[in-house]
Amino acid sequence: MAAGDKPSATEQALQDARDSLDEGFFPLEFFHDENLHDLEMERIFGQAWVFIGHESEIPEPGDYARRYIGDDAFIFVRDESGEVNLLFDSCRHRGAQVCRAEQGNTSHFRCPYHGWTYKNDGDAAGIPQKSKAFKNLDREEYGLAHVPRLETYEGLVFASLAEEGPSFEEWLGDFKWYFDVHMKLPEGGMEVIGEPHRWVIDANWKTIADNFNGDSYHTAWAHGSVLDLELGGEETVGHAGTGDSLDRHIHCDGHTTSMRGFEDEDVFLTYPEEVVEDLFTKEDLSDAQWTLARQALSFTGAIFPNFGFLHFGDTTDDPEKDVAPFFTIRKWRPLGPDKMELWSWGLAPKNAPEEFKERMYKMYTSNFGPTGNFEQDDVPIWKGITESANGQFASSQNLQLNYQMGFDWMSEMELDDEWLGPGFAYSENLEEGGMRLFHEQWYEMLAGNDRTDATGTPMNVQEDQ
Amino acid sequence: MLAEREDQLEALLVEREVEQFLYYEAELLDNRELHEWFDHVADDINYRMPRRLMRENTANVFSERGYYFNEDYGSLKARVERFDSEYAWAERPPTRTRRYVTNVRVTRDDEALAEDELFVEANLLVYLSRGDSEKHTFFAARREDVLRRRGDTFEIADREIRLDQTVLSTDNVSIFL
Repeated sequence: MAAGDKPSATEQALQDARDSLDEGFFPLEFFHDENLHDLEMERIFGQAWVFIGHESEIPEPGDYARRYIGDDAFIFVRDESGEVNLLFDSCRHRGAQVCRAEQGNTSHFRCPYHGWTYKNDGDAAGIPQKSKAFKNLDREEYGLAHVPRLETYEGLVFASLAEEGPSFEEWLGDFKWYFDVHMKLPEGGMEVIGEPHRWVIDANWKTIADNFNGDSYHTAWAHGSVLDLELGGEETVGHAGTGDSLDRHIHCDGHTTSMRGFEDEDVFLTYPEEVVEDLFTKEDLSDAQWTLARQALSFTGAIFPNFGFLHFGDTTDDPEKDVAPFFTIRKWRPLGPDKMELWSWGLAPKNAPEEFKERMYKMYTSNFGPTGNFEQDDVPIWKGITESANGQFASSQNLQLNYQMGFDWMSEMELDDEWLGPGFAYSENLEEGGMRLFHEQWYEMLAGNDRTDATGTPMNVQEDQ
Repeated sequence: MLAEREDQLEALLVEREVEQFLYYEAELLDNRELHEWFDHVADDINYRMPRRLMRENTANVFSERGYYFNEDYGSLKARVERFDSEYAWAERPPTRTRRYVTNVRVTRDDEALAEDELFVEANLLVYLSRGDSEKHTFFAARREDVLRRRGDTFEIADREIRLDQTVLSTDNVSIFL
C-alpha cells in the first residue's frame, strides 16, 4: 500500500481476516471474491513456485506438453540437447500461439500466422523473407520467452514467473526431508504413468488447498462409502483421533503433511514384500527418513500454494482383492474465483515390475482422479462451499468459518517432542493448524509481505512450550 | 438371390435386437437402476475408458497407459455397490442423465468373436444435470462393445468407452457410460 493512502476495502478485509485467523476464523466470502482472485493471480501465482510436470512425461528430445501457470500457457519441452525448457507459448512477432497440441514431439514450433519458426529450445530459427522484411532484426533476440526461473527436484519440475525471490530449495525448505521419502525410497525414483487427468470444476482453489493441508477430520465422513464397502481399512479411512495408529500432522516451512502409520512396524505403505526388498533403498535417505517410511501407512500433503500429494497404502478396488499402494501428485489451477482446473498424475517406482506399476495406477484411478471412489465425493462438497461464499449473506453476516481445531484451549493436542523429522509434529490428527498456516501464508503474499513471515511458530502451541 | 435376401433380413433383425438392448440398458442407467444394469455385465468383463490424447496431426488417439476406468467384474461391482452407501455424496441426489445411443453398427463375423458374440459400435451422448441448478453438461463418446447372447437378452462382455473430451467439464465421473 502506498504511503498515505487509506487502505482499500479489500486490504482492510484482508487485514481483518489476518487478525481473526489468530483466533481460528477465516471469512467464508473469501472463497468467492473477484478482487481477491486478481490479487492471488498477481501476488501468489505471479511469484510462487508452481508445479509444471515430471521429467518422465517428456523423456525424449523434442517431447513436449502444454502446461500452465495461472492464465499463462507454456510449452514444457525437452530440447535436442536433452535440456528441459519452459517457453511462453506466444510468437514474438504478433503474439499468436505456436503450440496447439496438448502433448507431442517436434523439433520446431511454427507460428500459423506468418510462419515464424522456433527450435525446441526456443531459439528463433526462421523468419520468412527476413532479408527483405526484417533485415535488421536480430534473430537471437527473438526467441520464445523462457520462464524466468525453472528448477527440477527429483524429476519434478517447478517454475516461477518472478525474476527474483527465494530459490526453489529455499521455498521447499526442510519439507524436502519429507518429500525425499516419497521420491527417493525406491531405487531409480518415481515416474509418471500415462498422462495427467484434467477436469474443470466450479470451486475455488482454496477449498482443495484446505483439504490437502491436513483435513484428517473429513475422511471418514466424506469418504464413508469407501469404508462401508471395505475398499480402505479403518486405520486408513477411519475417523481421525481414534485407534492405535501413529497419526501425526506435520507443519514444516509452510508446507504440511499428515500421516497414519504404526510405531515400530514394517508397514512401508503396504508395498509388496518383493518391491520393498528389491527396490527400496536407504542409500539416499537418513535413518530417520527410513524409519518414517517403514512405519507409514499413508501420507497426504501439500506444498504451498497449489501442489498436493497422496501416497497411500491399504486400499483396494475390490474387497475381494489384496490391498496395494498408490501415489498421486496434483495441482489445482485457479481459473477464476469460482473455477479451477484439477490436474492429477499417477506415479509408480520407475524400476518396479511393469505389472506392479499397472496395479499402482489402477489403485490411483480407483481411489482418486475424476473416477476415484474417494475423489468423486470431494468435488461436489468443494463446489458447495464456493457457492455459499458467493452471495450477499456470507458477506453481510460476516460469516466466519471455524479453524480452531488444535488450539490448545480447544483440543487435546501436544507437540511430539521426540518427533524424528524437521518442523513440528502434532501428536494427533484432530488438528487444523495446517490450514491456518496455509491461510496465513496466503495473507502474507497477498499483503505483499514475505511468505516466511507466516511460518515462524506453530500457531496452536503456547509460547512456553 | 433369396438366400442373400434372407441373410440381409437376419442381419436387420440382429441389429434391431441389439439396438433394443442398448436402449434398455440406457434406460436402466438413466433410472439409476444400477443393480439391474449390473445383471447384464458378464463375469469376465473388461470395462475400459482410456484417456483420449490431443495431438497435432492425429485424430482419435488414446493413451497406452492412462485411463479413467479399467475395471474387471469385481472392481466394477464395487463401484456399483458403493452407490448403495449413504455416504456416496457424488450421487446424492442422483445426477439427472439422459443417454442418446445412435450410429449403431453390428459386426457378426469377426474371428475374435465367439459364436454367441457380437461386436457393437455406437455413439453415446449423455446429458447430465446436477443438484438444485439449471446447469448441465455432456459426455460424448464412441463405444465399442462385445455383446454376448444370454437367453433372450445380452450381457456386456467387453466395453471400451472412447470419450471425446480430453479435459472433463464435470465434477467427477460418478455415472456409468
